[in-house]
Amino acid sequence: MIALHFFSRLYLGLVYLFVIGPMLIIIIDSLNSATSFPSPFETVTLRWYVAVLRHDEFLTAMRVSAIVAALAATIATVLGFLAAYALVRYPLRGENAIATFLLAPILVPQIVIGLAMLQLLALLGVQLTLAGLVAVHTIYVMPFTLRLVMTGLARFDFGLEEAALSLGAGRLRAVRYVTLPLVRTALIAGFVFAFILSFVNLPLSLFLTNPSTATLPIVMFAYMESRIDPLVAAVASMVVVAAVAITVTVERAFRLRLLG
Amino acid sequence: MATLPLEVVPRAADTVRWSAYAGLAPAVAFVLLLLALPLAATAYLSLSPNVLIQFEGLGLDNFRYLLSKAYYVDVLVRTLRTSFLVTLLALLLGYPAAYVLKGLSERVGSTMIVGLTFPILTGPLVVVLGWMILLSDGGPLLGPLVRRGLLAPLRLLGTETAIVIGLVHFTLPFVILTVLSSLKQIPNDLIEAAHSLGAGPVRMFFRIVWPLSLPGVISASIIAFSLAASAYVSPHYLGGATQLTLTTLVAQFILATFNSELAAAAAVVLLVMMVVIIFAFTKLMSRLVR
Repeated sequence: MIALHFFSRLYLGLVYLFVIGPMLIIIIDSLNSATSFPSPFETVTLRWYVAVLRHDEFLTAMRVSAIVAALAATIATVLGFLAAYALVRYPLRGENAIATFLLAPILVPQIVIGLAMLQLLALLGVQLTLAGLVAVHTIYVMPFTLRLVMTGLARFDFGLEEAALSLGAGRLRAVRYVTLPLVRTALIAGFVFAFILSFVNLPLSLFLTNPSTATLPIVMFAYMESRIDPLVAAVASMVVVAAVAITVTVERAFRLRLLG
Repeated sequence: MATLPLEVVPRAADTVRWSAYAGLAPAVAFVLLLLALPLAATAYLSLSPNVLIQFEGLGLDNFRYLLSKAYYVDVLVRTLRTSFLVTLLALLLGYPAAYVLKGLSERVGSTMIVGLTFPILTGPLVVVLGWMILLSDGGPLLGPLVRRGLLAPLRLLGTETAIVIGLVHFTLPFVILTVLSSLKQIPNDLIEAAHSLGAGPVRMFFRIVWPLSLPGVISASIIAFSLAASAYVSPHYLGGATQLTLTTLVAQFILATFNSELAAAAAVVLLVMMVVIIFAFTKLMSRLVR
């Protein structure tokens, strides 16, 4: 039994090494002073990070990604809340079908979502703008916000809202002062999760960017087509550190898991 | 009680229903106009003539063209083969991991689960960059062995093996999380009952835990398969131009050969393939659960 116990823990450790390995190696290589890449570790340096902070293209792309992600996450959280509230609060005819329809975009390959939006823009004769980009990112993240808010609302006691209504509050007032504060955690989690998923996504944007709307993954993609070097490893490790820091903070602050 | 204004009740219910549909309308309209409609336009495009394949009106000629070339059939078969292999490997690796995770204390277990979400939230592009370093013959994993002559250069990058490794890594956290949640639903009473009736750990696993976790295994398979078949980043970087899958083929038609009609046809093939296989998995699930 003790041997079984030991081997099961060892196995789990190896699985975690596999899961975390690629991210560890990026962080390690971004700190390596060797110029050729990849190469054995020489000494620790922060010069690649300094180089990133002087690299206008990466900095602009980070800003674009942050704008796209913030817009997509905001729209998805608002629409997700409205839909989740309607689905959880009221018994509706066909509500399962509607929920399935709203969650279905998860199953559509992202490259196909991007292709479809490209066709729509072509049909309408519209240029590639930020709007098309924000639209596909919103479509993609909305199922996640919807599901998180639905889970949050399922635990919410709607009797509290009824109490507010019977004490004379209007419906909007009751939702604003009673319901929203009590599902705040789910809303924040939905927003944060949506923001991160949008920020790091490449395939959705692949056909939809122009030089002024190139997101961070698109710029990294273009860069990695010609070379892999410590500079792009430094950008990547900044993404790793930010994603991990945000996840852990949300988990600690709200005792809330973004997934699983 | 007869004075109750009964006619008010249905009217109030109507208002409630109206406001519920009003809440749903923006999200539904959003998905309809910005996904369903564009997908319909894509399907239409896949039936249209183009610079390469010319015909009158609408027709299946684009599909006939794709399925008549061995090169494109290979792409379809490769997508199927890698996706099934990835699903199988992710289950084989992930199920035991979920089983061990379930046995951990609540506190340790939930901290460990957060670790599983790191690669998901870091995004495939960054993670695949890590695999490009790890799988290269000069990288930290193989480099020392290759340089000392202990290992012939494997040239893993640009092969189907590299795609499979990348995709198993990509799907594994989802598989572990899905199986874990089905394992957690098995009532402890059942396990204790089996234990007190004298079942050993092996017998208990195969007679109780495994059958009850099957729905989780099937949903994990569906998730792993669809993630693997829809993945773009791993096949692009780890497989490259010689190991195209349906997603990278779509991108090649758009970005390199500028043929939107064939891109649309390849996308439709991918969607149909996924629908058929997910449907088969779902059927299997309903048969097993019954």
